[in-house]
Amino acid sequence: MSIQIIKQGIMDTLQDKGRYGFQHIGIPPCGYLDYLSAQLANVIVGNPKEAPIFELHFPASCFIFNEAHTICISGANFVPVLNYKSIALNTPIQVCKNDTLHFMQPLLGKTSYLSIKGNIDSNAWLYSKSDFTSQLKNNDQFNIIAWDGDIKKNSDKTEEQESQQYNIDVIQKHIFNSNEIRFIPGPQWNDLTNESISNILKQPFNTSLNSNRMGYTLKGPSLQLIEQKSYLSSAVTRGTMQLLPNGEVIVLMANHQTIGGYANIGQIILVDLPKLVQHKSELPFRFSITNIETAHSEYKQMQKCFS
Amino acid sequence: MTKIFSYFNWKAQALGDHAIQFYVPEKMDPAMISEIKCFHDFIFLQKLKEIKDIIPSYHTLTLIYDVELLNAPLDFANDLIEKFASERKTDVATSVQNKIIEVPVCYDENFGIDLNSMSTKLNLSIAEIIKIHSENIYQVYCLGFMPGFAYMGDVNSKIQIARHAQPRKNVSAGSVGIAGAQTGIYPMHSPGGWQIIGRTPLKIFDKDPAILSKFKMGDFVKFYPITLAEFESLNQNEF
Repeated sequence: MSIQIIKQGIMDTLQDKGRYGFQHIGIPPCGYLDYLSAQLANVIVGNPKEAPIFELHFPASCFIFNEAHTICISGANFVPVLNYKSIALNTPIQVCKNDTLHFMQPLLGKTSYLSIKGNIDSNAWLYSKSDFTSQLKNNDQFNIIAWDGDIKKNSDKTEEQESQQYNIDVIQKHIFNSNEIRFIPGPQWNDLTNESISNILKQPFNTSLNSNRMGYTLKGPSLQLIEQKSYLSSAVTRGTMQLLPNGEVIVLMANHQTIGGYANIGQIILVDLPKLVQHKSELPFRFSITNIETAHSEYKQMQKCFS
Repeated sequence: MTKIFSYFNWKAQALGDHAIQFYVPEKMDPAMISEIKCFHDFIFLQKLKEIKDIIPSYHTLTLIYDVELLNAPLDFANDLIEKFASERKTDVATSVQNKIIEVPVCYDENFGIDLNSMSTKLNLSIAEIIKIHSENIYQVYCLGFMPGFAYMGDVNSKIQIARHAQPRKNVSAGSVGIAGAQTGIYPMHSPGGWQIIGRTPLKIFDKDPAILSKFKMGDFVKFYPITLAEFESLNQNEF
C-alpha cells in the first residue's frame, strides 16, 4: 500500500504534532501549521488525531495511489480532483489503484491537509516525523501501514454521523468565518506607544505574501516602541508577535527560531492560530485582547470535537 | 523555614496561553549561566508530564506546557520557584561540571570575510583581532537561532562590533562571528548578520540523535588559530 508524488508542490511537507524536548539546543518544534484541520482530516478517516499527515500549499503536489485507500482532505480548499473529477472536503473518499489526485486552484484558505487511513511510513527524527529542512519531492513514495490493534471504524450509525458533521461545521466556522484574531499581551506590550496600542486594536491587518512555516509577516499600521531599545534574546513560541525595528509585526509559526531578541508584544492564542494560518492576504482581520482562561477553555472545547 | 539562597529573585509571567517565562532583571551576566542551568536541571529532573520544553536564555527560563494538562500556569510556576529556592544547595556551582571545549579556527581572510573592515573600524590589526578573540575563554549562555547555534560571551570590548545592518543571504557552515559582546559559530549554511572573522572545520551540529549539538549551555569554549592547510585536513563540513 503506497502513495507517490508525481509532481511536487512548492512547499509541501509531512507533519505530525511536532518535535518537543529539543528547543533548548535550538531545534524548532515544527508540526502542523493549522493543527485543527490536520486533526480533523485524521479523525475523519479513522486515524488518531495526531497521526502524520501531508501538509499542502498552493500550487500543491500531485499524487498517485498505488492501492485502494481511504483519504480525506481538510483545511484550505484548493479544489481537489480525483482523476480530474471534483471531490468533497471533510469527507472520507475511497480511492482505487492508479487514481490520481490534483489540486486546481486556491479557492479558500492557504494550507490544506491530505490524510490517508493508516500510518504514513517515514523515518522519525527525534521522535517526530515532521519535516524540518526537507519537503515532498518528485517520485517520493510512502508506504501506508495499518495501525496495530483496534482502529475506530467509520460509523454507519446516523446519529454518530450527524454528530461528526456538527463537529466539522464547528471547526470550519471557527477557522474560516471569523475576522477576529485574539491575543494575550506579551512582555513588551507596555513598551509600545499609546498610538501603536490603539492602532493594533482598531486598525485592520493583513497577512503578507512573505509568510511561510517560520512566520507570517503582517501588513498594517506601523507600530512603534516608546524608545528604541534592544532586548536580550529569550524564548519565543508559536503565535509570538515580534515587532521588527521597521515597525512590522511577524507572527511566529511552527518552524520558528527558539529564541529571539525582538520586542515580544503579544501572543496569539493557540485556538486562533489556525485562523491566521488560513487567512488569505487580501482579506483584512482585526486583533482583540483576551486572557488565558478564555484561551484554555476554548482550546479544550474545540478539542472535544475530536473525542 | 529559611530560604538559603535567595538573591536571585525569580519571577514568573505567562507568555500567552501555552508558555511560562521565569525571569530576573535583564542583564548579560555570566553569573546567571550557572543559576539558570541549575534551575533548568531542577525542573528537568522532575520529568513533569505537563512540560514539553524548557528553554534557557540570558535572563529567562521558559517552559512550554501542554494546555490540556495544566490549568493554573502561574500557580504552577510560583510553586516551582518556591520549591527551587527551598530545596537547592547553598552552592549552585558544585552541581555544574563544565568542560572546556577547544575549537580550531582558521582566521584566513578567505573565511574571515569581515576581518578587513573590522580592522579599520576598530583601529586594530587583523593579527590583534585574532589574538584577542582566541585568548579568552568563553562560556555558552544559551542556544537558539538554529539547531546548535551557541551564543557565547563575553567578547573583549576592544573587538566588540555591531552586526551588519543588512544580513548576508548566505553564511557558510562553520563560520565564526561576533555580534556585540557575543561570539558564535554558524552550524549550517544560513542567512546571518554577524561579523565573520574565521571558520572552524568542526561539525557543530550532527543530526545523529546521539550527538546533536556540540555545545551545551554552560560549556566553556576556547578558540585556537589554525592554518589553511590544517583546516583542509580537519574539515568536517560540506561545501
